[in-house]
Amino acid sequence: MKRSDPYSLHPPTWCPGCGLYGILEALKRAASSLALDPAQMVIVTGIGCHGRFPNYFRAYGFHGLHGRVMPVASGIKLVNPSLKVIGISGDGDAYSIGLNHLLHAARRNIGVLAVVVNNRVFALTQGQASPTSPQGFVSISTPFGTVEPPLEGLELALSAGATFVARGFSGEVNHLAGLFRRGLAHRGFGIIDILSPCVTHNKINTYDWYKKHIKLLPLTDELPQDRKQAWEWLAEREKFVLGILYQEERASLEELVLPDPSRPVAHLELKPEAERIKELMEIFR
Amino acid sequence: MAGREEEKKLVRDISILVGGKAGDGVLFTGNVLARWLKRQGWWAVTYRDFPSNIRGEATQYTIRASLDPIENRNNTVDVLLAFDCEAIEKHSLRLSDGGLVLCDGADAAHLPASAGNYLTSFAFPLRQPARQHFGRDIFKNMIALGALGYLFGLELSHLEGIIRELYEKRKGEEVVRLNLKAASFGFDQAKEIIPAGERWPLLSLPDEGRLLLSGDEAIALGALAAGCRFFAAYPICPASEIWQWLAPRIKSFGGVVIQVEDELAALNMAIGASYAGAKAMTSTSGPGASLMMEAFSLAGMTETPVVIAHVQRVGPATGLPTKTQQGDIFQWVFGSHGEFPRVVLAPGSVEECFTFTIAAFNLAEKLQGPVVILTDLDMGQNLRTTPLLEANSWRVERGKLLSAEEVSNLKEYKRFAFTEDGISPRVIPGTPNGLHLVESVEHDEFGWRSEDPRVRAAMMEKRMRKIKAIAPDLIPPGLYGEAEASVGLISLGSTRGPILEAMKRLHQEGIKTKFLQVRTLWPFPSAEVKEFLAGLKHLFVVENNYSGQLLTLLRSQVEVEPGLKVEGLRKYTPDNFVPEEIYQPLKEAAER
Repeated sequence: MKRSDPYSLHPPTWCPGCGLYGILEALKRAASSLALDPAQMVIVTGIGCHGRFPNYFRAYGFHGLHGRVMPVASGIKLVNPSLKVIGISGDGDAYSIGLNHLLHAARRNIGVLAVVVNNRVFALTQGQASPTSPQGFVSISTPFGTVEPPLEGLELALSAGATFVARGFSGEVNHLAGLFRRGLAHRGFGIIDILSPCVTHNKINTYDWYKKHIKLLPLTDELPQDRKQAWEWLAEREKFVLGILYQEERASLEELVLPDPSRPVAHLELKPEAERIKELMEIFR
Repeated sequence: MAGREEEKKLVRDISILVGGKAGDGVLFTGNVLARWLKRQGWWAVTYRDFPSNIRGEATQYTIRASLDPIENRNNTVDVLLAFDCEAIEKHSLRLSDGGLVLCDGADAAHLPASAGNYLTSFAFPLRQPARQHFGRDIFKNMIALGALGYLFGLELSHLEGIIRELYEKRKGEEVVRLNLKAASFGFDQAKEIIPAGERWPLLSLPDEGRLLLSGDEAIALGALAAGCRFFAAYPICPASEIWQWLAPRIKSFGGVVIQVEDELAALNMAIGASYAGAKAMTSTSGPGASLMMEAFSLAGMTETPVVIAHVQRVGPATGLPTKTQQGDIFQWVFGSHGEFPRVVLAPGSVEECFTFTIAAFNLAEKLQGPVVILTDLDMGQNLRTTPLLEANSWRVERGKLLSAEEVSNLKEYKRFAFTEDGISPRVIPGTPNGLHLVESVEHDEFGWRSEDPRVRAAMMEKRMRKIKAIAPDLIPPGLYGEAEASVGLISLGSTRGPILEAMKRLHQEGIKTKFLQVRTLWPFPSAEVKEFLAGLKHLFVVENNYSGQLLTLLRSQVEVEPGLKVEGLRKYTPDNFVPEEIYQPLKEAAER
């Protein structure tokens, strides 16, 4: 069966206008332009509105627990590096309950693309403030406004060792597709933080608001490996700088720890190996 | 007992305590001695009593050796090797009549006056000659081993073999030579200091078909034999030895061990790896298990095979990280949110650590769910002599795992298809034509989320049905003793050794007992337990915890006749049972 759109599955049921629609479309375009085989892609998601992604994008899917996207995705990648593994999280999933995992995935440079759908609010649980909510954000959980400044996930990821750091906006689908394309082709750990309006629960960071608060970097073939420049872009507070902020070529975890990355652990032919086990027993004589 | 040569020739069972400070090399000395005794043909077991400390705190290590197969320590000490005066003060009063103390030179004066009457004590310079002749304090351990070799008449060729295996490849010939020189120095010095009549010459027997290893090592070996090729874990006492033993060895089998950020990651990563097609495992102890509870349920819902080894230590909270306990039974039998099928196995010997691990992997694949191997620190870390592990019956099973070819012929694939036995064929990602979603939200046969009450009920029943499907593969309880006995014991894990030893003693005295060792904790072997209880007058449930978790579990699953006297024999001090502690109450019960 030849599909005109090999990546479409069920029609999404996100709120009309949700930023996730743009993200879904951008990922489809990127996958299509890279001619990725859906059977060779695995999408792991956490808990939140983003979690339904594998219901709408045709690929292998694993909808796991809140915050544990990175460990599941890392386990998959380690035993089968030939798969394209995409870990999609929300800001609560990645930067709150799962932050530890995110940073360690970055530190290990595991070949997983982390996609953070950053709507700056806990949407699925009815609108509580999230770690990236703007300071003063009034919500059902913060009736007097948040007092904490928002967490900058990309700064953390960069300092933890991420080798591909990018920011996109779900209202800029073409630009975002470009980020996905580059991120999916990246060798180690990549993170794309996507500013994504929640039309239901975040009345501050709207499409219009973002349009006034973003600055797009053009996508070039050049490797943006200037760390200082990346920090400068991340430090800009007036406007969010969108684009690939940093990229570095470095051996990925799977290349470093697997005995033979071309022979996936997942495909090993398993037998009792009695002779070799008996040999090992000699250690205990 | 000094000088009574005839009597000493009859030594069949001996316990040596090595005492010192953490960092002294107590563990090294004890391990080498245990292996030496084993190669001399004895059944050696060790018992470590260490603080959670790297250097400075008092530490002790007991090596027991017997001509008969044993699995545990007892409560006697015959010979004390003390590296300092604190060790003498602490342990000399525990020595049996006629016991012998060897202590490092200057500290000899500290032997309590009252102990002088029944003990023989020798000031035995260790550090001073180590420094003088070998340049470093650490050679005191080899000097001490040489001295023990003289004391027990052990063959130096065995020691040479052990030292070569330890150092030849890693540190070179010169280190081997120096160590052996230090040992023979100790041997010669002992000749001068210890009169021949004070020696405890031990029989030398052939050492055939036996191994000396810990439960943790046996689990690691079992994992390799079972086809485990992915292991994710976080360091924790007393479980780290499992993956640390595997780490340098799994690579040549094509696999990988990865140290992760915490136990949440460890189990989630193992689940990810298993979903993607590897046989995957993690290990932990109490605190880590608490973190794993979240993903435990994920393995149940996503129907992903995974093996978890839990080596119990003293809790609650941080508890006593280097001491043994069996207080986490409920954690795995009842833990985590929601209801899902699970299996909990409890090995009671080193051999069972090996075979149950192989069984755990095969069960996990068949069940498509989590299987726990629940042991304890005593079983995990202490060394035990064990018959050579049987290699003929190993099987590496994959359960209902579809091959790429089988998938290519499918018209439609339902990951969670309703089947008669509840087990749905599995497909690993990357397989063409097998695309599906594995869903932690309640789902239909395809994996699509569903809140339909009928789907929910049917899916719940499907998952739970799997327990019946794997029932024939569960490990039945072990039954020991005399069938007609009216006094019985039920226990699990490392208590098996002291129970069997106590029973042996009772048997010699004509007292009949029987013992049911629960090997599969969950699903609980209700039928076998019920059968065991029939005709029994007095039941002891032996466990290393305060509240009697095994007994509570038993009562929840099996109706106990009102006429049966049930007694919990529990120990929640930070050490395991010794046979005496089981022998006494049983004897009293039998005589009543």
